[in-house]
Amino acid sequence: MIIYLKKFGTTLNGRQFGRESFAAFGPSLKDIGEEENIVVDFEGVITFTPSWGDEFLGPLFDRFGERLVLKNTKNPSVQASLEMLEEIYKKKFKKKVSGTLEKDT
Amino acid sequence: MLTISQTAEIIGVSIQTLRRWDDSGKLRSVRKKETGNRYYRRDDVEKFIKSNPKNLFGLAKKWTASKSEEDLPSAFYCQDISVFQARLSRLERDLGEIKRLNKIFPLISAITGEIGNNSFDHNLGNWPDIPGVFFAYDLSQGKIILADRGQGVLTTLKKVKPKLSNHQNALEVAFTEIISGRAPEYRGNGLKFVRNIIAANEISLFFQTGDAQLKIAKKNYNLKVEKSNVYIQGCLALIKF
Repeated sequence: MIIYLKKFGTTLNGRQFGRESFAAFGPSLKDIGEEENIVVDFEGVITFTPSWGDEFLGPLFDRFGERLVLKNTKNPSVQASLEMLEEIYKKKFKKKVSGTLEKDT
Repeated sequence: MLTISQTAEIIGVSIQTLRRWDDSGKLRSVRKKETGNRYYRRDDVEKFIKSNPKNLFGLAKKWTASKSEEDLPSAFYCQDISVFQARLSRLERDLGEIKRLNKIFPLISAITGEIGNNSFDHNLGNWPDIPGVFFAYDLSQGKIILADRGQGVLTTLKKVKPKLSNHQNALEVAFTEIISGRAPEYRGNGLKFVRNIIAANEISLFFQTGDAQLKIAKKNYNLKVEKSNVYIQGCLALIKF
């Protein structure tokens, strides 16, 4: 399953908005297969903050762990926010780089 | 309509200056009689402030330092997060049009978003008097100003760090210590994020809460927390780029 974040907007900021976005998307998650990856695509996102990310990616990361894969994370606010979240969670996100799947180290 | 003293308070100039501006045509008053008292239309005052943004920081500081509840020009007042969010999107668009900020504008917009969002997250349902934030920017001078009349960093951080005793310590912790995990409160690593961004970019920050203030120079990871002469109720931030 691919989640296109731009469908939630290009300015992804704030816990409240993050929580609302996750709650809105939640029902779609029940269709995911047991071994299926959850790909979160950042393409088109302009502003991304740790507060929104924590509310949206946090629960996905808790539930799917290694099956959560992030894609198109080049935007500087996306990169900086993911680094911050990795520091808080004390674990790294899996990122898809140029068509291959690589664990970011 | 606003009286001349109310207008002087809002703009942050003396009554004498307003009289002079009235005579010169810089900011016209309205009088019922030729020799009567000067009054000002709220719209005129707001338009004036918007087109003369030099003292935006002073305006924000005065608002958050004031003991009484003062009105803010509506152009800079976001009473709830949805208004703030809409204006943040506008800032993002405006920043995106500035060529020299080509690479870093999402970062400026992100730290602005985190600081503003902090105000709402930490004060929702607990605003001491006026809810919401002051949010203004002057892109020609490369400045963004945010302020709130919330509880301040010390009160909110005490919920997770009860031993904190003063604003300086609270401010330092807010910008330096990572709070891991999601308990006991969904809260703040936003200011650490702000610090990381500034450390790596041509952006600087002034931040005040209570009687504590700090400055982080561009491309600098060091913090300098000091005691301020002026006490403010909530938080005040100036981002320069």
